[in-house]
Amino acid sequence: MVAEKHKPVKEGCIFNIQRYTIHDGPGIRTEIFLKGCPLRCRWCSNPESISLHPEIGVYASRCIGISKCGYCLKVCPESENGAITVKEDRVTEIDRNICNGCLQCADACPSNALTVWGKKMNISEIMTVILSDTDFYAKSGGGVTISGGEPLLQWNFTIELLKECMAKNIHTCIETTLNIQTEVMLQVLPYADMIITDIKHMDSSKHREYTGSSNDLILKNMVAIADKNKPLIIRVPVIPEHNDADENIHATADFIKGELGNRVKQVQLLPYKQLGVEKYTSLGRDYPMNYFNPPEREIWEKNIKRIAAILQSYGIPAVPGTGAKTS
Amino acid sequence: MNLTDSSIENTIKPLPVEPAEKDWGVGVNAMGDTHSPFPRVNRFRRFVIDSEFTVDHERACLVTEAYKKYSDSPQIIKCAQALAHVLHNVTIRILPDELIVGEMAAPMKAAPIFPEHSYSWVIDEIKNHPWEKRLHDNYYITRKSKNKLFGIEDFWKGQSIDEKISSMMSEDEKKGSNLERNLYLLNLYMFAGIGHLQLNYEKLFALGYGGIKETVKKKMAELDQSNPENLRKRDFYRAELIVLEAASDYLRRYAALARDMAKKEKNREWKEILLKVSENCDWVSEDRPRTFWEALQLLFMATTITLIETNGHSVSFGRFDQYMFPFYSADIKSGAATRESIQELIEILYMKDIWWTKLRDRMTVIANSGRGMGGDSLTIGGVDKEGEDATNDLTYMCLDALAHTRWGTPWLAVRWHENTPRELKIKTANVIRIGTGQPKIFNDQAAIPASLLSGRSLEDSRNYHVVGCVEIDAGGKEYGWHDAAYFSIAKVFELAINNGRCLGCGSHCMRWERCGGLGKRLGPETGSLADFTLFNQVLDSYDKQMKYWVDQMIAGIEIMDRVHQEMKPLPYLSALINGCIEKGVDVTAGGAVYNFTGPQAVGVGAVADGMSTIKQLVFEEKKVSGREILNACESNWVGYEPLYALVNSDKVHHYGNDDDYADSLAKFAADTYCKHVENRPNARGGKYLPGVYSVSANVALGLVQWASPEGRKALEPVSDCVGAVHTLVRAHDVNGPTAMVNSVSKLDHIRAGNGTLLNMKFSPSAVSGDVGRDNFISLIDTYFNRKGMHCQFNVISRETLEDAMKHPENYRDLVVRVAGYSAVFVELSKPLQYDIMGRTELSFD
Repeated sequence: MVAEKHKPVKEGCIFNIQRYTIHDGPGIRTEIFLKGCPLRCRWCSNPESISLHPEIGVYASRCIGISKCGYCLKVCPESENGAITVKEDRVTEIDRNICNGCLQCADACPSNALTVWGKKMNISEIMTVILSDTDFYAKSGGGVTISGGEPLLQWNFTIELLKECMAKNIHTCIETTLNIQTEVMLQVLPYADMIITDIKHMDSSKHREYTGSSNDLILKNMVAIADKNKPLIIRVPVIPEHNDADENIHATADFIKGELGNRVKQVQLLPYKQLGVEKYTSLGRDYPMNYFNPPEREIWEKNIKRIAAILQSYGIPAVPGTGAKTS
Repeated sequence: MNLTDSSIENTIKPLPVEPAEKDWGVGVNAMGDTHSPFPRVNRFRRFVIDSEFTVDHERACLVTEAYKKYSDSPQIIKCAQALAHVLHNVTIRILPDELIVGEMAAPMKAAPIFPEHSYSWVIDEIKNHPWEKRLHDNYYITRKSKNKLFGIEDFWKGQSIDEKISSMMSEDEKKGSNLERNLYLLNLYMFAGIGHLQLNYEKLFALGYGGIKETVKKKMAELDQSNPENLRKRDFYRAELIVLEAASDYLRRYAALARDMAKKEKNREWKEILLKVSENCDWVSEDRPRTFWEALQLLFMATTITLIETNGHSVSFGRFDQYMFPFYSADIKSGAATRESIQELIEILYMKDIWWTKLRDRMTVIANSGRGMGGDSLTIGGVDKEGEDATNDLTYMCLDALAHTRWGTPWLAVRWHENTPRELKIKTANVIRIGTGQPKIFNDQAAIPASLLSGRSLEDSRNYHVVGCVEIDAGGKEYGWHDAAYFSIAKVFELAINNGRCLGCGSHCMRWERCGGLGKRLGPETGSLADFTLFNQVLDSYDKQMKYWVDQMIAGIEIMDRVHQEMKPLPYLSALINGCIEKGVDVTAGGAVYNFTGPQAVGVGAVADGMSTIKQLVFEEKKVSGREILNACESNWVGYEPLYALVNSDKVHHYGNDDDYADSLAKFAADTYCKHVENRPNARGGKYLPGVYSVSANVALGLVQWASPEGRKALEPVSDCVGAVHTLVRAHDVNGPTAMVNSVSKLDHIRAGNGTLLNMKFSPSAVSGDVGRDNFISLIDTYFNRKGMHCQFNVISRETLEDAMKHPENYRDLVVRVAGYSAVFVELSKPLQYDIMGRTELSFD
């Protein structure tokens, strides 16, 4: 399949803009989170990032009570068809088959019990936020990181945003799954100063089991990035009993050393933390790793240090966490 | 040695990073007993910390004796004789490991009593509100001390400063004050002394007590005594000689005690130290100090005597690394001391500061919780008088000492400027990350212009130090009355939207029968939100209320100033503040070179969000009427739940999010206060300087205010310092620290000459590692480039604080930043604990 050519898109769907992020790229950064993701990682802590479109999150505990408020029911065009479920005076659920996606309920909700994940924003709106912190980028060697979801699903928009940052001389990072057509990726690459990506598993079938997709394209794209000598940071989310066996770590090391020629700025080993459970609930989904009991801090810290040591023995610049400076 | 000679070179190599520094930890706080490399320091620290706070009667009784004996003397002579009588007769002690000696006319961690300032509450609280039963800030007292204090009750009836002040205040000045409705708090200087100053240590080191006495004698000899105006000056100089001689005697008493103890001491090391202490005290009782140790002894004693005389807090050390450097440098060159021995001395000084304590009345401790003396600030870093970087070895050593002692004392302030060495910034950040809330950082780029605007000379402005919590001061030349009042602009705003009437007005109020019950109002009638048709009317009304209340407050403060002048001249302090001996005028009467009065505005965030809510919801979106907003507040939001949620949600513009809509209103809220306060004349020939900060008074001022439109329920704290609103349900700042910094830097900090303060709270993970540290430094640098004046930090996780509230027994050593000062968390009042916990935690992992 031949990839299409870039067509400028000036509006994207954003689910968060976080200022003063310091762990996704150098210095103080503003991070733009784009909606939509091709992977379904079991440990994903941002389930609201997966869909490409805005969606409603329901936080029953914040609901004031229908008897006192009830604004959502008043504005919902589908309320008579049961789009909004009320139990014990609180909004508890949205029937996403009935909901027509108008988002008026969240707009009317005063308490954020109903909240919208995802917002259409245009380039200039986003740039206004980005430019508020230029002093901080300059002082700290920071900039902008475009993350997701998968920012390359909205690649035509991402390129425009990167170009705009480039014009303002702002350093850019993309945090990407790389599970995207190589031709698309190669069109985006020239506009980003640094790439941050994951190796989630070296075994393709395990990768498919845990993320819903094989790793073929991901690894191929990683090689292409290294071949262009683009600054690259690789992350390994260390999920105990899933991808932390020695065999997988050695395979990871072989790949980085052999296929990438060790052309990486840093390999960061991130601990698994059970985050985002509330957000799954708000979207009416179950947390996919409910079956798993995460180990105590002492144990995972030790485990991560052990893995770092293995990678380091290959001469790979591996570090636990994201707190170490890149060379 | 000429101390002001700038030709003394910094020939000793700097020591930016100490080997152990990497292990100081992040968010680990003060738990543990072995942070200092000096066993003596660790031992002394534990001993001091574990001792209980008590109240001692001796000073009160001695002062009473002297007041009786000298009842026919001029007031200034009476006061001088009272101090001398205390210094000559009070019991003194030397405890193990004290390398420098001196007590505040009371045993270690015992509060002396100052009946000349206020006394009726002391008796009342002994009888009806025992200090040992206080929920926080508790003290122990023996039966003997109680009886002694009862014994002088009759003498002081109607004789104390607070009673005189109260009798002079009019109904209008009283009604808004801490005596009635608490719109402004004058407690500190109504019930106690002023403090908030730095002694001129450079002068003391250059002349010694002996030299100063000579100067006074010369000045006295030059007086034409037939000139009636000079009789007052003659009394002043006579008083100076009485107290200076008494100060020398106090040092000689310690010298004799140390000598006696040495004679009997078996332990050889301690015996030698006692002999050395004795020699030091003897020498500096008259002469100029020759070594670092002698200078430190003199500094400590001179400061302690000021506390005994004045009952002031925030008696600060000033630029310690600057005026002590010549001694350090000479000692190292001559071999009289090593860097290590000086490091140990500094750490002992830090621990000696814990000894100082002040008993405050039970109403004041609500606003000013924490039992330390308070405000013994020590300033390091910054530029010198020529504007060049002044960092030296001692700058780094003072920070190391903080990492080694990890307690609330002294209140270390590091000055940063454009050319502060990177190493100093790193060390500052490393110490802050430990998590005890220390040190605070000041910005020369904002403080120096603010000081110039206040009228200090360029040289004095560059040489500023930090006094107490927040205030900049020309050390040794200034009597700044920096902590004159806490003034609730949040309450002013309430009266501005409700036609001068309190929200929540009712028969529970102490003024009901004179005010609301008669259909009267607390303030002038400036219009009601129920009737306003334009948002500008809200702003106009706020401006008018502000003028009225600032006038009342200033009248009250001026009464206090006059009463202090008449009843409590301070001859000892006057000897050590430039200008007084020269002019022959006591420091309380305007003798100092600079004379200011600094009352602070509290509640900028609260007013900003209240205005923003009204502007958006009432006048623009027209979602609610002004009447509904008032009704919602009157009913404490009961029955208005959706509005309460909306006002607290991000659907309304809020200050602290880098949103001009609300931030411009914050600027208006603060500027209106500053406009009415700045440049008003005071009783000492100086002028008023506004400040914009609360320290912890936002809790006290919240406890007396009904619900308010920014989404605050009745009795909750109002917003702190220049920070954003955080209510029971939600913190209003949601965009992180860069947005907060951008918002805060839109305020005019330079105009707020008495200071501003931004409190930030970080989770340990946000500042961990080199990455966390460097970005933290960049954040502060950027705030400072934008002319922010001052910031301070808590690096402690919410989980830790929650656990500490549940299991206080496990956290006796948990020290946190309150505002301006650090204190032991489990000893703070519950509302203040919640307030600290509720500050937005900036966490990023």
